[in-house]
Amino acid sequence: MREGLMLFPLLFVVVVLLLVPLGTLGWSSLREPGAAGGWTWENYARFFASASARRALGNSLGISLGVAVVSTLLCLAPAWLLAGRDFRGKRWVRAILTLPMAFSGIIIGFLTVIMLGRIGVVPRAFEALTGLDWLQGAAYGFGGILVAYLYFEIPRATLTLEAALRKFDPRWTMAAATLGASPWQRARLVTLPLVLPALLSTFAVTFGASLGSFGVVLVISRRVSLTPLQIFDEVFAFSNFEAAAAMSVVLVVLGFAMNFFLRGLASRLLAHRA
Amino acid sequence: MRDRPLLLSVALGSVSALLLVVVLAPVLVVIAGSFLNTAFLGISSERWVAGGESELVTFKWFGYVLNLYRPQLTFGVQLALWNVALCLLIGVPGGCALVRRAFPGCGILEDLLLLPLSIPGITVSIGLLQAYSMIRGKWGLLLAGQLLYTLPFMVRSVTSTLRAHDHAALERAAHSLGAGFWRTWWLVTLPNLRHALVVGSLLVFAVSFGEFNVSFLLNTPLYQGFPTALYATYTTNSFQVSSAATTLFLLVIVPVLLVIQALGGRESTKIEQGA
Amino acid sequence: MTKNIPALLAAAAAFALPALAQEKTVIQYDCIPNYANWGGVTALYLKETGVRVPPDPKGSSATMAALEKEQANPQADVAYYSGAIGFQATTKGLHQPYKPKGFDQIPADLKDPEGKWWTVHTGHIAILVNVPALKGKPVPKSFADLLKPDYKGLVVYSDPTVQGTAFTFVYGINAIMGGGPDMAKGFDYLKRLDANILAYPREDSYNDLVRGEVPIWINADGNGLKAKHVDKAPIETVVAEEGTIVMPLVMAMVKGAPRGDEAKKYLDWLLGPSAQKTMAESFFRPVMPVDLGPDLASKFPPASAYSKARTLPLDQMAANADAVKARWVKEIKGSR
Repeated sequence: MREGLMLFPLLFVVVVLLLVPLGTLGWSSLREPGAAGGWTWENYARFFASASARRALGNSLGISLGVAVVSTLLCLAPAWLLAGRDFRGKRWVRAILTLPMAFSGIIIGFLTVIMLGRIGVVPRAFEALTGLDWLQGAAYGFGGILVAYLYFEIPRATLTLEAALRKFDPRWTMAAATLGASPWQRARLVTLPLVLPALLSTFAVTFGASLGSFGVVLVISRRVSLTPLQIFDEVFAFSNFEAAAAMSVVLVVLGFAMNFFLRGLASRLLAHRA
Repeated sequence: MRDRPLLLSVALGSVSALLLVVVLAPVLVVIAGSFLNTAFLGISSERWVAGGESELVTFKWFGYVLNLYRPQLTFGVQLALWNVALCLLIGVPGGCALVRRAFPGCGILEDLLLLPLSIPGITVSIGLLQAYSMIRGKWGLLLAGQLLYTLPFMVRSVTSTLRAHDHAALERAAHSLGAGFWRTWWLVTLPNLRHALVVGSLLVFAVSFGEFNVSFLLNTPLYQGFPTALYATYTTNSFQVSSAATTLFLLVIVPVLLVIQALGGRESTKIEQGA
Repeated sequence: MTKNIPALLAAAAAFALPALAQEKTVIQYDCIPNYANWGGVTALYLKETGVRVPPDPKGSSATMAALEKEQANPQADVAYYSGAIGFQATTKGLHQPYKPKGFDQIPADLKDPEGKWWTVHTGHIAILVNVPALKGKPVPKSFADLLKPDYKGLVVYSDPTVQGTAFTFVYGINAIMGGGPDMAKGFDYLKRLDANILAYPREDSYNDLVRGEVPIWINADGNGLKAKHVDKAPIETVVAEEGTIVMPLVMAMVKGAPRGDEAKKYLDWLLGPSAQKTMAESFFRPVMPVDLGPDLASKFPPASAYSKARTLPLDQMAANADAVKARWVKEIKGSR
């Protein structure tokens, strides 16, 4: 009873602010535009029939996958150091690497333009040094978006990996070493299986965050369009909520599917090891 | 561990150093750009010269931003404080009850609570707009949307603290000494949560103040958070104005993050899945 | 520390409360600070009256879409459009009639007889060029020049389904190229121009132009002149040799405006001398006769520069607007 009283506000938030809106989203994705409309698959049909919508979805998935792989691998380095070693300035390293956590995508988009735009700091410096303008406007291509999303994932990947790696006991590799395993064997047979679940969960976290973000591309979208941006356009420019709802459902379902797949993979790997 | 190849240490160190530079460099450029003439910095073709004079250092663009976007700055802070208050009121008792698993379905409720962190913010905002179009234009909807993204941080802060120590034993001890339910909660549970509440509140504040994904479509002309103002300066103003606005944002957010780090250290890893 | 917490909470609460009561405001949809100097105009209004008109990034078409969606529960008081979209929004019944002070002095072809929209200033479609960003390439003089491979990836115009100025360009280029009602010549030009286009941003690109991120921006002449004369940026404003389009920019009062009385005061004030002169400071031509002073007047391009300017009938533009936008999305944006 008393617990019920304590729990009720939480239940209210989940039902009224989360489940009802998500239900409405699914409902309206199946409605014809306008108050008098009936049921229809049209919103989904139009989404999958549109070449630019399919391309945007492909871009979204490709970029999210690429960023998830790259950020997981790169952030392994600082996470390993933060989890396993003590060194001076450790707190500062962590503080700096977690700084982008509170930056919304638009800020990161702006930072990318400043650094990699047509007149960005890096292309300017590169041109001054080499006379080549190869990097000019790098922010606006796939490369720029990858770097921007990486920026955005650094804190997430580092913190998730650090938390997971702290559970990793280095004595196991030492034991393997005393049993005569070579460094390569130790890495492949001991370290990798122990670290793999951490890698997979980091991959899931970064993939999900990239798939849903639209602030970055809102600022640096030039040639490349992504699904969250198209959802935004449907609402902002056309106030077409039904089409936006259908696109949202597709995005949410894909995000969940990937999440379940990765979770399944992780638990299968764990079971296999045991 | 002595046989760990030196090469590996060097590789880990240099990748980490590279990441540090990648994170820090643009921030420093923006801070410099907020008060230095960008023509001198060489990153812009513009010369924001007033009256034929060129100043190397000027802080006037902070004045410009504050004049144009003060309502957003003020409201952004107010909104963040409202988030903190509601998270304390809803999340703390809720988190305590969740840990006790008093009802069947508590596990599902906890999963659902964390669900927003893995759903794109823009889809949640469209759902809220569709479901509650009648109160569109009030800031309640904006607060509701943000609450979905801030509440998990408070609840997780509370539940992980309670689960880490054998808190139930403490409560049983209090009960056996004759303390009632609410008395135990007030005198035993809450004081033990002090640290979690401070860190949780700071996290909620930071998340709310910087949130853009779910907030942007829920903004009304009168009630907008500061990231919306940032977006406006990025598209319609000069580099210096954008930099000054971003620096103002950093001035609010960085101290909060540093305090979280100083207080929490390891606690901050709990925000791993943050939006 | 613990003792201070209640005091801290009380202070925070005291600060958070005023969120409930804010200062006087008028909401204008499409109020971009660096377009037609709305930043300067609204700052002056705040100074003169204490009423705040917050910036709003929507373009004309986004404004119309938002007003349509909010009909049952209007949020905005006044709206600003390029003429064709303002006309279109009027035909959708989104405005209420109001004749601000000075309405009679506006030429008949620049207003709705009932006061459902009226012009506040006019601009022309022009090619705005950031000269250093071209890195020595010649400044283009005509729309034909923009098709040259030299300018590949350097040209930008906004998304015409969002921004009214871009819509005026997309619609008007057909007339400039001598096309007929089938718009074939216009779309043929736009398709060939697409090869040189860097992006079709939904937002205003003033910042990007001034910084050099966007080297060539097809937009209103006044914004380029303001960048040069007020913001001292190296921007050339080119009126194309083939001619240009006259673009009236209009205001309207939103039907069911929640702050109607304040809105009317603001709309009156916008036609007054101080507001009209402030608009002219960003080189849009005020609709009211107002003395600019010799210094400002001399910075406007001479009338001869606009000898080939065309005026297109707003009613026709409005009637075809949805079809042209849809065709643009299908043939130009959809092909990217």
